[in-house]
Amino acid sequence: MKKSVKTLFLAAAAVSLLAGCSGSSNSGSAPQNSQTADTQTSSAASEGGTSADAGGSGDTGSQSPADKKSYTIGIGQFAAHGSLDNCREGFLLGLAEEGIVEGENLTVLYENAQADGGIASQIMTNFASQKVDLICGIATPMAQTAYGVGRRQNIPVIYTAVTDPEAAELAGADGTPVGEITGTSDKLPIIQQLEMIRAVLPDAKTIGIMYTTSEVNSLSAIQEYKEAAGDYGFEIVDVGISTTADVPLAADSLLEKADCITNLTDNTVVASLPVILDKAARKNIPVFGSEIEQVKIGCLAAMGLDYVDLGKQTGRMAAAVLKGEKKASEMNFEVIKEAAFYGNTQVAENLGITLPDDLMASVKELFTEIEQ
Amino acid sequence: MTLILGVLEEGLIYAVMALGVYITYKILDFPDLSVDSTFPLGAALTASALLAGLSPVVTLFLSFAAGALAGCATGFIHVKLKVRDLLSGIIVMTGLYSLNLRIAGGRANVPVFTQDTIFENPFLAGHVPAVLAPYIMVLILLFIIIVCKALLDLYLNTRSGYLLRAVGDNESLVTSLAKDKGMVKIVGLAIANGFSALAGSVYCQHKGFFEISVGTGTIVIGLASVIIGIQLLCPENGTSPLTSLKLPTVRPTTAVIAGSIVYKACISLAISMGMEANDLKLITSLLFLVILVVSAERRKKVKPHA
Amino acid sequence: MLKLNNINKYYNAGTVNEMCLFQDFNLSVAEGQFVSVVGSNGSGKTSMLNIICGSIPVDSGTIYIGSENITHMPEFRRQRRIGRVYQNPAMGTCPHMTILENMALADNKGKPFNLRRGTNKKRVDYYRESLKSLGLGLEDKLQVKVGVLSGGQRQAMALLMSTMTPIEFLILDEHTAALDPKTAEVIMELTGKVVKEKNLTTIMVTHNLRYAVEYGDRLLMMHQGQAVMDEAGERKASICIEDLLERFNAISIECGN
Repeated sequence: MKKSVKTLFLAAAAVSLLAGCSGSSNSGSAPQNSQTADTQTSSAASEGGTSADAGGSGDTGSQSPADKKSYTIGIGQFAAHGSLDNCREGFLLGLAEEGIVEGENLTVLYENAQADGGIASQIMTNFASQKVDLICGIATPMAQTAYGVGRRQNIPVIYTAVTDPEAAELAGADGTPVGEITGTSDKLPIIQQLEMIRAVLPDAKTIGIMYTTSEVNSLSAIQEYKEAAGDYGFEIVDVGISTTADVPLAADSLLEKADCITNLTDNTVVASLPVILDKAARKNIPVFGSEIEQVKIGCLAAMGLDYVDLGKQTGRMAAAVLKGEKKASEMNFEVIKEAAFYGNTQVAENLGITLPDDLMASVKELFTEIEQ
Repeated sequence: MTLILGVLEEGLIYAVMALGVYITYKILDFPDLSVDSTFPLGAALTASALLAGLSPVVTLFLSFAAGALAGCATGFIHVKLKVRDLLSGIIVMTGLYSLNLRIAGGRANVPVFTQDTIFENPFLAGHVPAVLAPYIMVLILLFIIIVCKALLDLYLNTRSGYLLRAVGDNESLVTSLAKDKGMVKIVGLAIANGFSALAGSVYCQHKGFFEISVGTGTIVIGLASVIIGIQLLCPENGTSPLTSLKLPTVRPTTAVIAGSIVYKACISLAISMGMEANDLKLITSLLFLVILVVSAERRKKVKPHA
Repeated sequence: MLKLNNINKYYNAGTVNEMCLFQDFNLSVAEGQFVSVVGSNGSGKTSMLNIICGSIPVDSGTIYIGSENITHMPEFRRQRRIGRVYQNPAMGTCPHMTILENMALADNKGKPFNLRRGTNKKRVDYYRESLKSLGLGLEDKLQVKVGVLSGGQRQAMALLMSTMTPIEFLILDEHTAALDPKTAEVIMELTGKVVKEKNLTTIMVTHNLRYAVEYGDRLLMMHQGQAVMDEAGERKASICIEDLLERFNAISIECGN
């Protein structure tokens, strides 16, 4: 009997722990949200919280046409990652541009699955039970989970940061939607990147690329690089790895063969980028990045995506769906319209390279030092 | 209602896997980490088999068989090569990660949205009345779990099943019965991992895609389900926090299924209360610690006069 | 019946702690013999049982049952012909299974453990009868888990279970040592009864000199891996506890304690 009392006590402690955390996370999430959308105040966030609860009991605005102006959406992000956070920020900005402002006529339920598939699907089920008007899935697994739940509950899904929606079966051939789902792809602007590399290094012949063999997105990017490289007089040298531990050896072999290196958005490789940069710097070989974060830490330059812009574009699509102007099934998925140039002058100086003036003229962001 | 159905669906899928963990953890007393990789093994195999045009029902059996094979590997490494139990599981778990990727055709993510599954196929579309449509998933899952549970209950009451229970209870008795305790362990691990892979197969068909990361933390969910269920519904020492409710006594297998649903309900509750997933991992690990402390306490209590 | 030939057994061979337990140890036990084994701690009694059962390997030498060489036979296979009761009552039963299930397990020894029903309903009456013969009231507790039984009750069950199927050998490893004197008496009487009824070849290790004198038709005293006393038949029958104590003391003085 004593033991059972102890068990009960422990269980109660666990429950109170759960409750305590949820309480603190409510207040904790308010300032975080106000960072992402600057139009919103923390009092509005707590208001949003209460109306989300009301949504759970089933009387959201969507059910009473007179009150149609206010929306509830669920944003599910697959993992904590700088680019994905930027996507979410941009998404809310895009909605705001269209007059759907968090805290005013928009309640946002945001959850991050921390790369756990089981949690992802529970998050989506939870969104569905709160009767959200739209689900936004950030990154491929989250978008797939969202679609799996959304198509059964008739909730439209907007995704972003899905590199290849066709391969993920979120879009049919030619980019046509497979259901009430559409969004934006963060496919790399490979042609622009090749153009940029040619402009920076007029004499280079080979480009080295390291990629993880299991990442579908990397495989398709490599393929595209190989097809387009000839047009710019390049040859692609690629080396595949399977784990982080393979990076140093693969980098050594790549640096033997290539005049310069360019990166994909390959997660494993990007995580070990400092190792590659260090080895390349010693051999005076330039490394190009694929997004702003990589340039910040020491890549020479990149024609990359601005994930905030990508998010904005996605947000505008979501707004169209929410307002009823268009259905998700009527819109093809979109890619970013323009690639942005990022450069790092400190790296250029170390390498003795001058970034061409016409690129510098259109630079989106320029870094003058290497962030450690 | 959506939430309840969602919790039931999640809970029932993972309950299949929890039955396997019940065999290893509770019956065999073997901390088997290989379920973390046999769950995605079932999912990967299912995704590939569906794309190859196999019947969704066949994939269930195929996954069970593949999982059983992986379980045999864990057992073989432990019993014949004399590697410690925890390490054998880790070895198989690590190795299967690569194998799972191979099975999935070298891809970390394989969608099967457009394929027929056990939940969405022409037969169901033609035969299920519209009234039942929202509940059809739960009904199918219920059917699967009841079959699994009934088969496991039946098995545990066969001579072979008796031996399985005996080996976790008292290894030396199995030797006294002129039976190789190692073989019995291998059989147990095979069944357990078969269930885990079967759950992975159902998971893949339910979600519509395979993702290499689905296996992470499977063992935690399984252990939590087993211990919550057993503690609440059929504690060995007869004192459950719920004893005062005068609930009818249930079989441990039923308790494990209930435990899985309760666990998923807790997670769902935590999410809908607005808790961030960032904290969920910590909560899960704390919950896990609490569970382990509680069960360690009971073990201490039983062993001296066992 | 049982023959141990030139057994050598070292512990920690090749280290500074190397200890020779058996050197050229020989023993043969005739069919139907009931051998009581006494000896101080560390004299090799239990090691001898473990060697016979295959729980520990020998360094050299051969073990025969009848004409069959079982030296390299794995432990579980030898157990088909051997029944063993351990000192710890928990070793002979499954605590989380019911009395009925334990009986059924024991009853299936030697048969294939296949997918047939674990408990044969037709045998339940037989189990009940056997339990009744213990006189401990266990026959009314068939659905009770063995874990809640007392040590004596479990040891009685262990004895019953290990002798339920036809075996050639019974090994009793200090099987009354963990019991209170009264229960030990009951179990010992039961042991004598079972051995006589089934005419089993038996080796019993015990620290209770009275049991060693009263039971069995052969007495072995072990010391440092040797049988320092080995009496059978009439000479065994004439031995009394005092004789044994005298020998014990003599040995102890030799060793300097």
